[in-house]
Amino acid sequence: MHEMSLMGGVFEVIERTISQHDVKRVLQVKLKVGELTNAEPDALDMAFEAYSKDTLCEGAELIVERVPVRGRCRSCRNEFPVKTMFFLCPNCQNTSIEVIQGEELLLESLEVE
Amino acid sequence: MDQSRREIEVMANLLGSNDMQAEVNRTHFRNNNCLTINVIGSPGAGKTTLLEKTLPHLILDLHVGVIEGDIFTSKDADRIAVHEIPVIQINTGGGCHLDSKMVSKVLPEFDWKATDLMIIENVGNLVCPADFDLGEAFKVIVLSIVEGDDKPSKYPVIFRNAKAVVLNKMDFELLTDVNMETMRHDIRAINPEIEIFEVSCRNGNGLKAWTSWLRQEVTTYQANRG
Repeated sequence: MHEMSLMGGVFEVIERTISQHDVKRVLQVKLKVGELTNAEPDALDMAFEAYSKDTLCEGAELIVERVPVRGRCRSCRNEFPVKTMFFLCPNCQNTSIEVIQGEELLLESLEVE
Repeated sequence: MDQSRREIEVMANLLGSNDMQAEVNRTHFRNNNCLTINVIGSPGAGKTTLLEKTLPHLILDLHVGVIEGDIFTSKDADRIAVHEIPVIQINTGGGCHLDSKMVSKVLPEFDWKATDLMIIENVGNLVCPADFDLGEAFKVIVLSIVEGDDKPSKYPVIFRNAKAVVLNKMDFELLTDVNMETMRHDIRAINPEIEIFEVSCRNGNGLKAWTSWLRQEVTTYQANRG
């Protein structure tokens, strides 16, 4: 259940952001969560509900966008989706693959009023 | 009402504050020329036992410190302290992983000028610790083969992010249905560069290769002092 700790990070960022804007209420919170992280959307939902109680975020909608893993071959530079978590270039069969997408844990945006 | 409804773009890393403290820790380790490793594995994989079997050899020519992470109790730290090695226990009080701030708080407890190798044993868990950088030079996984050959593909994040995996309890190979070919294949498919050590902490097999590798890593780290 480290989603609670991650949500602590979300609320640190939210508080910092709304302190810089004139915000009455937060309506929507958008997260980007890479598939090569261990953050689980349902657990994030639960953690969001717990954290948002009695804050400007209470009742806001949490949207978690899962970001699929993409790799780039260090040999032929081919970019491709990594589907089974096995890192193999479909073009040249090289196994030295750099992850270019799928490791993000981001607060993308807030919708506020 | 609708006119006041607006979007604020943020694009901030949720682990930002952990990553920042991890960099401070990393600089601390670098400045003191101390290789720090983060040992991660399920409860019962044999993390503490591996340390108990390895430390007596390492301390022959290295100054070693240990940070033990556990939810409750100081049982693991007590086991390490028997070897007269500086050890600090962190209790997370329910938390499923160590984070960089918890580690930072105990750093003043050690004599850093006299430490070549700091081993951080994380809370027993193959999932959560993978996302939290502590400032270590690299991560090491301890996986006991009796947990099953499907574990690497089920927990790819940690296998992708570790430099070495110690496969423990090899003495049980013939007593279980574990397929070591699948185990090795899947680990390599997720992370082709990972070092794999097959050991039995119980009968001592394979421990020498692991210990020599770790000692070499300390030498390489210390030689690369900037």
